[in-house]
Amino acid sequence: MHSWLIHLIKLLFPPQVLLPDIIGIDIGLTLSALAIVVYLTKTHRWGWLWKEWLTTVDHKRIGIMYIIAALIMLFRGGVDALMLRSQLIVPNAHFMGAQQYDEVFTTHGTVMIFFMAMPFFFGLFNVAVPLMIGARDVAFPRLNAISFWLFAFGAALFNISFSIGGSPSAGWFSYPPYSELQFNPGVGENYYLLALQVSGIGSIATGINFLVTILKLRAPGMTLMKMPLFVWSALVTSTLILFAFPPLTVALGLTMLDRLFGASFFTLGREGMPMMYANLFWIFGHPEVYILIMPAFGIFSEVVPTFSRKPLFGYEAMVISLLAITFLSYGVWVHHFFEMGAGPGVNVFFGLSTMLIAIPTGVKMFNWIFTMWGGRIRLTVPMLWQLGFIPTFVVGGASGVMLAAVAADYQYHNSYFVIAHFHNVIVGGTVFGLLSGLYYWWPKMFGWKLNERQGRWAFAFFFTGFWLTFMPQYFLGFEGMTRRMASYPAGLGWGGLNAMSTIGAFIMGIGFVILVYNIAWSRLHPEWDTTGDPWDGRTLEWSLPSPAPAYNFARIPEVHERDAWWSLKQAGKTDAVKLSPDQVEPIHIPKNTPMPILLAASFFVGSLGMVFSWHWMAILGGLGVVASLAWGSIQDDTDRELDPASVLNTEKRLGRVHP
Amino acid sequence: MNNPIGALPAEFENTHEGVKILGFWVFLATDVMLFASLFAVYVVYRSRVALGPTPAQIFRLGPVLAETLILLTSSFTVSLSLYAARTSHLKAAIAWLVVTLVLGATFVSLEIHEFVTDVLAGHTWHQSAFLSSFFTLVGTHGSHVTFGIGWAILLTLELAFRGLTVANRRKLFSFALYWHFLDIVWIFLFSVVYLAGVMT
Amino acid sequence: MRKAPEDPTLPGESVEIPLLAPHLSTPHFPARQIAGYVTSLILTGLAFALVAYRLLPLSTLLIVVLVLAFIQAAIQLGVFMHLREGRGTTWHLPIIGLGLFVGLGIVGFSIWIMLFKSGVS
Repeated sequence: MHSWLIHLIKLLFPPQVLLPDIIGIDIGLTLSALAIVVYLTKTHRWGWLWKEWLTTVDHKRIGIMYIIAALIMLFRGGVDALMLRSQLIVPNAHFMGAQQYDEVFTTHGTVMIFFMAMPFFFGLFNVAVPLMIGARDVAFPRLNAISFWLFAFGAALFNISFSIGGSPSAGWFSYPPYSELQFNPGVGENYYLLALQVSGIGSIATGINFLVTILKLRAPGMTLMKMPLFVWSALVTSTLILFAFPPLTVALGLTMLDRLFGASFFTLGREGMPMMYANLFWIFGHPEVYILIMPAFGIFSEVVPTFSRKPLFGYEAMVISLLAITFLSYGVWVHHFFEMGAGPGVNVFFGLSTMLIAIPTGVKMFNWIFTMWGGRIRLTVPMLWQLGFIPTFVVGGASGVMLAAVAADYQYHNSYFVIAHFHNVIVGGTVFGLLSGLYYWWPKMFGWKLNERQGRWAFAFFFTGFWLTFMPQYFLGFEGMTRRMASYPAGLGWGGLNAMSTIGAFIMGIGFVILVYNIAWSRLHPEWDTTGDPWDGRTLEWSLPSPAPAYNFARIPEVHERDAWWSLKQAGKTDAVKLSPDQVEPIHIPKNTPMPILLAASFFVGSLGMVFSWHWMAILGGLGVVASLAWGSIQDDTDRELDPASVLNTEKRLGRVHP
Repeated sequence: MNNPIGALPAEFENTHEGVKILGFWVFLATDVMLFASLFAVYVVYRSRVALGPTPAQIFRLGPVLAETLILLTSSFTVSLSLYAARTSHLKAAIAWLVVTLVLGATFVSLEIHEFVTDVLAGHTWHQSAFLSSFFTLVGTHGSHVTFGIGWAILLTLELAFRGLTVANRRKLFSFALYWHFLDIVWIFLFSVVYLAGVMT
Repeated sequence: MRKAPEDPTLPGESVEIPLLAPHLSTPHFPARQIAGYVTSLILTGLAFALVAYRLLPLSTLLIVVLVLAFIQAAIQLGVFMHLREGRGTTWHLPIIGLGLFVGLGIVGFSIWIMLFKSGVS
């Protein structure tokens, strides 16, 4: 009698979704969501959540929200990884069907790159960059909140595909023609396209924001060549985002036009050209891997000098190599599809440009090592991740040069060799870097440190697990195992190496569990950071209390030397950052506003409508977007003024006023 | 409000408004990349007509020339609106802005008419990769112009109710940048798509 | 050309690149705007006439039309978009320049990469 209801349920929960494990996870998710709702209601925290977090435009809080979301996504992507590895532990295992296996590797890759790594370093940018350059906030605080909420709702959209409608299954780069309607008729691919589009708009906005922040809001005296290297890395990352994301927008948009509106860009018929998608995707995709690695380079360039008690070796060379990598990274994308057959001229050009990138990267490696050389090294947790990074990334980089050799690439392409290569650079580089940065800036974010002993255990498990997981995969690649195999027959000699790899993956999983335990334990037994400078740091963020007050700097510092805070400490002038009561001035800080979350929620509603081709819902979301933008445009009281008395009170409480 | 000749234009007087203008330039740089990607697709797909028409068979230069002249004129009028704002003539600024948005609306309706004519003749983007890329490239520009019209309406109201405040001058400046940018994109559409399309 | 009195500069503006020093002025009559408009009308008409009446051989026609388009774009940028105005270091110049460079790069490279079939046959 309610035939439309049955139809709706079939649409939202197609038969392949009704697997027992997915139902189990759905129930678990529903229960935990309920638990959170009950907790918030019982403790009367809804108002607090709305006022302090959901409508905030403070870069420090936005940074924390990014990082929490990224850790949740790391968990989700990690569980995906363990499911994949469990399937491959022995030959002929079928605990997942091929379709489900495809969905899991697709969500693993997409979540890890777009919803874990990127928000993680956006979070660290937010936490550290304004403090490092002596600014009170980013250039466009409201836009910053919009970026965050677009990411958050994009991630939510991508993740609900798991339980409502089915996940995408065409891999993280989603090549047509398989991603076209003809071969992939479910809604999963629509989820992929729209979720990436929504969070991609947020990423472009973040790029604009940090570029302008760094160019325009530096403290007096901080010339470009006096900026900390993490700020440099944020600058080049933002530039890369600006010019890399629009081609992705186009690639995703055109696929969507093909799927939803019957265009013929990448179709097999009507002279569509599936490889044009590959071209567009990798114009984005290659700069993207540098978008992922640059922040890690920046983090290590802060961590190494701090824990070696030496200025960074070859600062100028570090900056030039960052710029060189940025420039070169736009001219290498064909190395992802040498096999298309564009001819020797094209392939040789892109092979050579790829190999060139090894030079500036090598320069950076040597400079970190020379910075440590002769320094007084403290083996803290951030430093351990850095030390783990160097050999891991060198192996990944070297295998990358092997892949750049065009003729040899015809052998490696689409094999486990490639899988091992990019995990070596993305996990060994990006993830190690992000975790190093997490431990490094954690006290600045929350005012307490993470327990070092537990942190070392987390590192030990993760690092060991990593090498055990991915070294065997190089050899599996040599032995002919192709990527994305849902299962493999016995008798090929792949069993042992695959078993090792799976065991390694679970050891990494234990490392992650220890990391979470470490955070929870340290929260319950906090080791307070009362000085604001727990690591004896070198850059300006350590001149502030932990956590910094809402306005960051009561008085904007003046910068004379590269490691500004370190030089003040060396000269015994740390009192220079304190105020005398007559120096206090009123401070403008941006007001909280619900416009960002409403805008992003409208995007979410509209996109969900597009996923299921419910046009009324898409139009509703679109109207919400237009209304939020118009409302945001006419708001003219976006700032509030903190009066000098309250600033002085806060500074007194923090012990930062001259008696 | 008075802007002495030779001094800093009002848009840059306030530091924060100046920062916002830089942000808008950066946004335009990303939009350059968006259109560059679409141009790349179009140029590669130009000859992939399948069973559909070739560019020379469907392009009609007359209406396109009219669209071009209208958009060029609107680019001129928005610059006059900005000039009026800089010399503190509020009414002139609003009047030129309204002229601009009327010209913009005329442009969009001509373009829609062109599209509808093609579609009624059976030339939908379902027909070939060439038509898909043509409609998408020109349509993306058209939707930018449409968005600009909405923005101009909002801006006209803000100017009428709030006058030439610092924020409104900056918004008008950003809008003018956006509009001139769309004009530049159209110059390339006119040359690379339409003029080059009929060269056979 | 001079800065407004009591100009509160932003901290980052203490970093100047002399070559990119801002250029600012608002004359009494919008002569630049009118000149720019007339020039772009002439350039558009010229390009249109060249194509409509086939005034040049096909091989050079495309190049000439493209060159005219670039000239016109430069006029729009210079005259209408007040390209040389800014506060402190005019950072939008390198950013727009980079955007145009990378944009032209991906169009050119895409043609080179994706039209490989015609190169083989």
